[in-house]
Amino acid sequence: MSLTLQNVSKRFGGVVASDSVNITVPKGKITGLIGPNGAGKTTIVNMITGMLAVSDGQISVGGRDITHASADEICRARLARTFQNIRILPDNSVLENILIGFHRHEKCSTLAAILGLPSARRESEKIVKMAEELLQRFGMSALADFPAGGLSYGHQRKLEMMRALASEPEFMLLDEPIAGMNDVESDSLAELFQELASTGMGILLIEHNIRFVSKLCEYIYVLDGGRLIAEGAPTVVLRDPEVMAAYIGGEHA
Amino acid sequence: MTNILLGYQPLFDLFLLHLGMAYSQWLVLRAGVFSLATAGLAAVGAYTGGILVVSLGFPAPVALLLAGLAGGIVALGLSIPLARLRGVYQAIATVAFIQIVLSLNIYASGLTGGPQGLNGIPKTVGTVTLLIAGILTVYLMYTITNSRLGRAFDAIRQNEAVAASLGVSIVRHQTLAFIISGALAGVYGALEAFHSYALAPSQFGFTFLISILAYVVLGGRNTIIGPIVGTAILLLLPEIARPLAEARMLVYGLLLILVINYLPHGIADTLIERARARRLSARLAKSDSVATTATRN
Repeated sequence: MSLTLQNVSKRFGGVVASDSVNITVPKGKITGLIGPNGAGKTTIVNMITGMLAVSDGQISVGGRDITHASADEICRARLARTFQNIRILPDNSVLENILIGFHRHEKCSTLAAILGLPSARRESEKIVKMAEELLQRFGMSALADFPAGGLSYGHQRKLEMMRALASEPEFMLLDEPIAGMNDVESDSLAELFQELASTGMGILLIEHNIRFVSKLCEYIYVLDGGRLIAEGAPTVVLRDPEVMAAYIGGEHA
Repeated sequence: MTNILLGYQPLFDLFLLHLGMAYSQWLVLRAGVFSLATAGLAAVGAYTGGILVVSLGFPAPVALLLAGLAGGIVALGLSIPLARLRGVYQAIATVAFIQIVLSLNIYASGLTGGPQGLNGIPKTVGTVTLLIAGILTVYLMYTITNSRLGRAFDAIRQNEAVAASLGVSIVRHQTLAFIISGALAGVYGALEAFHSYALAPSQFGFTFLISILAYVVLGGRNTIIGPIVGTAILLLLPEIARPLAEARMLVYGLLLILVINYLPHGIADTLIERARARRLSARLAKSDSVATTATRN
């Protein structure tokens, strides 16, 4: 059971953005994906999450082929994501932002939802309770009724995490989750990621910050120019001459 | 006193009819569909209801249900091309749809009475029926908003990528919103037909479209009370300022420009937001210590 990319390629006309990339994200571990700007990290993220068509190869989650699935089907295959640029729903309250994360679990019929039948009301009450528990766990209960658009940056990141967790994923894709955070904030998120992994969740961490990645991941992949140039334990990979060249500029420096 | 109130009864009826149409427009906007098709779908419902009663002798309640069904089915058909479009292109496509419906009203004269309109519809709908319809409509809008559907609509409207990443099917939910909106427009079109003896082919044209849209924009797009406030203000305004009644569209235009500039979320939505902000900051001041610990974590 893992999130697997097999020989995944993406071509934009003649430009190769991803060149037969192979990545395996096992459950219960945090796997890193790093690479300099323009290495093709975002292309990989967009292909996994169904926002970009895959040219070649196969992507699967827990044995289920999601290569050509749409974004909402991928969520139902229990793969959640956060966004590089925070995307909360600014018109809604903090609590409402989490409620939408439970969408996958809402099973009442459409007619019951339209007519406001007891089954729909009970379901709504149940997910409100679950959302309140998540808020408690993240220490944000006091902010439940506030408009999400007015939250601080760190709180918005946490809110996005809670919303992704609400869908109860088996795998989570974190796209630069600590961008713009200070050390205290990123340390508390690091603890959270480790806690999630220890409960069995498989995490793919896409990050710029090499220190953060090497602290959290047992295994990392390095991407440059659309292809993997190294993989393995952080201590080994980061000493790889090709990786150092990609990051520092190599022979041109 | 009773006489004065009775004098306003036609206005109240008009308010209830237009309120239903406003909710039809409100619901699609809420789900992020920039459709203006409500006027066309109301025409479909009005003519379906009118023809069923006048030419085929159906009882009014049955015709009303079938008119709602017709509105919903036409909306379902229309949603297929609309799902491929976004924003202003959806608006243009739906305006084109209204033009088609208006042309059919005129040219299919054997069915619709053509330019003379459809006459001799028995008046079976009065204030009480309209009031019941209004209460039911508000109830349905309330339950939809507070259900998984309303939450999905909100997410899609604000960010389609987020909605999809959380498992919300955009096409399915927008189609559903459009069908409900179409059925609502169909029912209220038929109610209007059964309320007013006759239908004119251009009745659901551009002026009507703008009025309906204005109710929603002026009142507010994100609260249930928005369309009520918008419809009430825009219908009452020409009555309160009688000399302005002639310049109704001018007043509409001016008011809209003012509201869009100074209260972009609409009158009701802005007031509700402000009240909420005041309540929250008061609560925050009261439990300051709790909130700051939460912020520090």
